[in-house]
Amino acid sequence: MTHKVAWTPNRLVEIPSIARVEGEGALHLRVHDGEIVDLRLEIYEPPRFFEAFLEGRHFSEVPDIVPRICGICPVAYQMSAIHALEQAFGVTPPDGVHELRRILYLAEWIESHMLHVHLLAAPDFLGYESAVTMAAHEREALERGLKLKRLGNDLMAEIGGREIHPVSPVVGGFSKAPRRAALQAYLPRLEEAREEILRVADWTSSFDIPPFPRPAELVGLWHPDEYPINEGLVRSTEGREFTADAFENVVEEQHVQHSNALHAVFADTGMPYFVGPLARVNLNWEHLTPTAVDVARRTRLSSPEVDPFASMAARVVETAVAIDECARLIEAYTPPREPHAHVVPRAGRGMWITEAPRGILYHRYDVAADGTILSARIVPPTSQNLRHMERDLRLFVPGVLDRDDEDLARLCEMVVRNYDPCISCATHFLRLERVEVERP
Amino acid sequence: MSARTEPREVRLARIAATKALKGDTATPARVRVIGCGNGDRGDDALGLIAVRALRRRLRDRNDVEVLEAATGLQVLDVLEGASAVIVVDAVHSPCARPSGAAIRVEAGPGGLPAELATSVSTHGLGVGEAIALAGALGRLPRTVFLGLQVTSVAPGGLLSIQVADAMPAFVDALEREVRSLLAEVAS
Repeated sequence: MTHKVAWTPNRLVEIPSIARVEGEGALHLRVHDGEIVDLRLEIYEPPRFFEAFLEGRHFSEVPDIVPRICGICPVAYQMSAIHALEQAFGVTPPDGVHELRRILYLAEWIESHMLHVHLLAAPDFLGYESAVTMAAHEREALERGLKLKRLGNDLMAEIGGREIHPVSPVVGGFSKAPRRAALQAYLPRLEEAREEILRVADWTSSFDIPPFPRPAELVGLWHPDEYPINEGLVRSTEGREFTADAFENVVEEQHVQHSNALHAVFADTGMPYFVGPLARVNLNWEHLTPTAVDVARRTRLSSPEVDPFASMAARVVETAVAIDECARLIEAYTPPREPHAHVVPRAGRGMWITEAPRGILYHRYDVAADGTILSARIVPPTSQNLRHMERDLRLFVPGVLDRDDEDLARLCEMVVRNYDPCISCATHFLRLERVEVERP
Repeated sequence: MSARTEPREVRLARIAATKALKGDTATPARVRVIGCGNGDRGDDALGLIAVRALRRRLRDRNDVEVLEAATGLQVLDVLEGASAVIVVDAVHSPCARPSGAAIRVEAGPGGLPAELATSVSTHGLGVGEAIALAGALGRLPRTVFLGLQVTSVAPGGLLSIQVADAMPAFVDALEREVRSLLAEVAS
């Protein structure tokens, strides 16, 4: 149960989740004499189940199976999988597919980012328990956010056939490409969204966001010609550069005793890293579109910026990138003459990284000559950020130990939620139990 | 490969919902039934299974719209635009209830009763929060929630025996609810 207590130097704070359908997500924090002696974050990872589920399936089933990992970012899972399988088979999609995939994926960014900014981050920074309690006071902003999110959903449904588990993306391209008129119908809404995202920028820039300066290595895709989403080199803010093929050599996933989730670190240094919108904005500042530059100015976001709480501003900036890019690509769009390439499977391995709304998403497939999946490896962004979330909590908690338990739990949830992890919702109803710990 | 061949009625319902959202529907559905869940997680599929059975029974009616939703946010998007809504979902309630027990509650202006107000989703909002948010934004039509207590929602699991046994009576109850709401909104 949740209750307020005065601060004592020794305490045990457990934030276990209440009975949940989607698995385990909990924070354990033990403090002695004002020092953290134990801090463990546990997050359940559905992709691990899917890796085994994919073995023995035909490659053509993969784009139908992987989007079920996540109802918020199904396109991300489809795009990493499809590109990896195309690499394994040596398939080049027809002209126009790259652009159409980009619109589909950017629409998912709009939907995911607007969801996070309005329903998850804003209540945190404005001090509301949830979006529901915030709604009475911030109705106009919330309606605007939901409208923008809806634009992303509708565009995803238009191209993907359905919005939650898109059905049109296939290995080689699309089973069916939308008509030009169908996409052009979105231009007025995108034009309106260009104005609305500036209002979102002004709104979020008024939030009282605590500064949290600390060094961090941010990792994301970089592309020479465009704001990266489906392809690019992996770069870090500390000068690393590698391709998807090298991912499993550069990054080591470690088992940790307290969690069934794996923790990703750099294999050479053992250090955690941070993926997501803030990494992308830092690494691709030169590719910000005009509206995004305006949003960055209004939200006072600059580069380099590694303060994790700048992630919300980065999401607003990226939404502006997505709006501008969708409008540009739709204006130039003509349906591909052939929506997909003819795919002939062959034995091999494919590895690919795309930028999910939450950060880089790695897929690797080993495929038999008849197209049967022999093994699959999926490393989602939340898994890569887990160790970094714990690190942030270790750095953040000492500064707020004077708060009562309820406030402390809320602030810890805020640090975790800022990464927009797959438990972002669950942390809304984490329950705080406080147990007195006797001095040793 | 079943996901790629969308049944005709699913496609028509989706198109109708999209039209309703865009406000260009000629005759808006008077009663909308929203089945929620994840078809790959055991009893969590029960909302989807129930509304698919209902869809077969009511296929000739044009005043009832049957939709499926995977997330609370999808529910939020389709709550508007109907005179009355029935939300069908799996229930994992902290109250002691036998598996397969049926639950029926009416949403007030603040959403569902506390027991069902916080539901579960990996992201964003659960169904309970979506209904509460619609209420807070003044978008909530007359809304009835129907559910069954789950046994297991393990990934890749099948429907439990308890829930499967309860399903025929549950679909009957759902159909009665639809006809009752139709009569109510017609008067």
